[in-house]
Amino acid sequence: MTRAQRAVLRAALAIVTAATAATAAAPAAGQQSGREAALALRFEPLEFRPPRAAEHTLSNGVRVLYLEDRSLPLVNVYARFRGGFSNFPRAYYAAATALPALVRSGGTRSLPPDSLEALLERYAISTSVGTGGGSSFAAMNTLTRNLDVGLGLLGDIVRSPRFDATRVEVWRGQEMESVRRRSDDPGRLAYSEFNRLLFGDHPIGWEMEASDLEPEDLAHDRLEWLHRRVFCPGNLILGVTGDVSWEEIEPRLERLLAGWEPCAEPLPRPPRPDVRTEPGVFVIPRSLEQSTVVMAHVVNVRQNDNPDYFASRIGTSIVGSGGLSSRLMARLRTERGYAYSVSALWTAPVDYQGLVGAVTQTKSDRTVASIRLMLATLGEMAEAPPTDAEVDRTVDEIVNGFVFNFESAAQIVARQMAYRAARLPDDWLERYLEGIQEVDPEDVQRVYREHVHPERMLILVVGDPEQMDEPLAALGPVTVLDIPGPAAAQP
Amino acid sequence: MRNPSLPTPRLPTLRAWARARARVRGIALAALLTAAGSAAAQEAPRGDALPVREITLANGMRFLVLPQRGSPTVAFVTQYGVGGVNESPGTTGIAHLLEHLLFKGTSSIGTREPDAELGWFRKMDVLHDSLLSTRVAQATDPAAILAMEGRLRALEDSARALVVPNELDEILSRNGAQNLNAATTNESTLYYVELPANRAELWFVLESDRMANPVFREFYAERDVVVEERLTRVDTSPGGLLYETHLGAAFQAHPYGQPVVGWMSDLRTHRREDVVDYYNRFYGPVNAVVAIVGDVDVDQVEAWIHRYFDALPAGERPPPVLIEEPRQRGERRVEVRFDAEPAVRVGWHTVNAAHADAPALVMLSALLTGGRTSRLYRDIVVERRLATFVGATLGPGERYPRLFSVEAYPRSPHTTLEVEEAIYAGIARLVEEGPDPVELERVRNQLEAGSVRRLETNFGLALQLAGSASLNGDWRTTFRLEERMAAVTAADVQRVARTYLTSENRTVATLVRSAPEAGEP
Repeated sequence: MTRAQRAVLRAALAIVTAATAATAAAPAAGQQSGREAALALRFEPLEFRPPRAAEHTLSNGVRVLYLEDRSLPLVNVYARFRGGFSNFPRAYYAAATALPALVRSGGTRSLPPDSLEALLERYAISTSVGTGGGSSFAAMNTLTRNLDVGLGLLGDIVRSPRFDATRVEVWRGQEMESVRRRSDDPGRLAYSEFNRLLFGDHPIGWEMEASDLEPEDLAHDRLEWLHRRVFCPGNLILGVTGDVSWEEIEPRLERLLAGWEPCAEPLPRPPRPDVRTEPGVFVIPRSLEQSTVVMAHVVNVRQNDNPDYFASRIGTSIVGSGGLSSRLMARLRTERGYAYSVSALWTAPVDYQGLVGAVTQTKSDRTVASIRLMLATLGEMAEAPPTDAEVDRTVDEIVNGFVFNFESAAQIVARQMAYRAARLPDDWLERYLEGIQEVDPEDVQRVYREHVHPERMLILVVGDPEQMDEPLAALGPVTVLDIPGPAAAQP
Repeated sequence: MRNPSLPTPRLPTLRAWARARARVRGIALAALLTAAGSAAAQEAPRGDALPVREITLANGMRFLVLPQRGSPTVAFVTQYGVGGVNESPGTTGIAHLLEHLLFKGTSSIGTREPDAELGWFRKMDVLHDSLLSTRVAQATDPAAILAMEGRLRALEDSARALVVPNELDEILSRNGAQNLNAATTNESTLYYVELPANRAELWFVLESDRMANPVFREFYAERDVVVEERLTRVDTSPGGLLYETHLGAAFQAHPYGQPVVGWMSDLRTHRREDVVDYYNRFYGPVNAVVAIVGDVDVDQVEAWIHRYFDALPAGERPPPVLIEEPRQRGERRVEVRFDAEPAVRVGWHTVNAAHADAPALVMLSALLTGGRTSRLYRDIVVERRLATFVGATLGPGERYPRLFSVEAYPRSPHTTLEVEEAIYAGIARLVEEGPDPVELERVRNQLEAGSVRRLETNFGLALQLAGSASLNGDWRTTFRLEERMAAVTAADVQRVARTYLTSENRTVATLVRSAPEAGEP
């Protein structure tokens, strides 16, 4: 797609996938499949008006994003709360992590857990309560005919949890077991240790330990204290989609919220992470025939209208988050067969620094070769811009695939709620679509030159140094991590 | 602001149908609650009311087209009736390797000079054959083998000059494709993708080319990729190893006992020529079903189907799998030693998915471990807290008599043996008491809601249609499970549990920590 065509596209706002509007020419006989036929196809423009949720405000000030969808007899209600374990000190880590799970499984003041579960299952109401660290959510999906039962139970669950002692013990035992099993899977071990190395004593870097899980860490009054601070109207935004009109749902939502006490006090802000910036090579020895490699360093590009952000999206897709056609996949997987999976990462949170780097699981006897190749691939973008073809391809993928952002009402509303939570504008998706089309190859090079530094990477390998192609020391001074815990026994 | 909603359906669609049906069933269920045991729940779903257009070409290729008026997108699922069960020792993993190789392009896609490529293939394949015979000669110097492997790699690198890497992926991705992937199971290989609806014709152009003219370039490097995939999924994964070992012990004769990804030694010895031959025989139209679900004009799609697929040669079906697993005469126990916390899988031989007892077995698994009110979950996870997880499955496939398996992760200090005993005790209680009507109703209600929820996405629908048509011969079968489940009685559940879940019919696999703890002999 040319830049002129992109400009036309922007003018047409959300009408997204027009290359040209000519109709398909009939292919010559014998030439109706294959590359030439594929490239000769011309497509009609897609007539599409993306649905957008309507915003309403309930009498106690809680906002609701609502989008009707009558295609199936189902209703989704999604409640998102500010606040999660990141807002509280380490002493509350276990209780704050357990909170959503126990809100869901611990029964309600009027219904012991077994009775609650029996009702949910009898009416086939699906509910879940979870957390993303800085926020918590409760979701409910029901057949329309059971909507009143579903809303009644959802309200009971989020407003009046019982924190039944048996279920607290079940959760505690499961978490203890999860601590024991943390080293079982090399990928899980690598990611958790990497976080810990980078973020240290910050909620992002915390890893649950047996010492966090004493019975008093999950005391009833502690759970209730946290509940009053997170699951309260001041932190709440609601989303409703599906087979229900606003006139039908509004009074029901008012009932759901009626008499709900306001939040006890404002949530403490999460601490700013003090991310490790020194490079280094770390290894966790395991006698495995494959190495898990994680590398990254801190990067200061935020998700916003800054051109650097859009260039970083195009760049990281070309380097390695863009599937089979990306450079890392082409080099490590397609050309050399070193790895089944390899990917670049570049996170860009709104509020604090992100990470840039790459991950793979690779042949033990190609570990160092793979790491060198990954470092070189990350680094070369600063030396030479990507080709026009690479940038155009990446932009086309995003522009032509844009319509998949509107597959369901639930997806549309959940996204708008996430934007609100991140304080992004409601039309962020459209701004993103425009922003990425402005990116030039030189922008990508500039952003990589400024922000991506292979020599600053923190590299962690889980694998068997004996089987590796070269000593890891070839990459820099190596620190061997001795991972304590019952599951870490090594011969 | 105006509140836009999705366009009103122009045709009666599957979703509209489901909506009407769920309303009717709602009334039926309400009646059931007040008059337990009434015939109200027997109202049959009208599978033939779904607006699926079935098109079968002269070459045997079947298409199922379902228009859906949601977002302007369309999902394509191509399912071939060939998978792990069609392989034998020495050829395991071939269907899965083909799953990878079919992304390598065709005689026009992925290449700069297709004819020149063939010359390189011949050189490489001759060298690979001598490498294989050198490897079996015991006395050969390992350095000689390494040198040959190096030469093979160098040849493939030279041939790469003629390759346009990942061009098929790139063409589709540029056109906005999503979910571009493939999967191999015990009985099937599936290729799938979603496209913006206005670009639907692109799929016909590319998929007909891929069926007719695939070229398995970069063969040896891709074989190495699959080796790495096996290492990730199985050899470094305690759960993967336990699963593979369990099936291998339970199935001594039937190919359900072979890993779909293939044994490592097979992955290192597959020959390009054999893979080409396998492809040419079993991946033709006669063995393929395609489901197309989305915002499409069905007449236009039918025209494209004929235009692009009519001319393809039919191919053949794989020979029927005649091997039957002999009756098991006594408990089998195997263990996997790995540096990980314990786990256990218990499996009993049962029947295939089409068998009259299959719905009662599905009901049994839901009663034992489906959800937080299920019997084993309540007993083992909540009340006695012996385990952190317990789950029942039927598998590994559908067409042949399969296992009813229960997997559990003990909670320290409890052992796999304690958990095993609790599982057996829970099953014995169910056989003794029988499920109560409220339990059965709960499962049926959840199945009903599930049958509505799985209509939510084009992609999910396409998977169901293709899967049901390929495995059962009829796309409607999947939608009739609910009807079959409604007929299951408490006595049926007791009977199947008593019949199949016996001690002599079970195979138990346990995961045991490899490194001895201090003080252990």
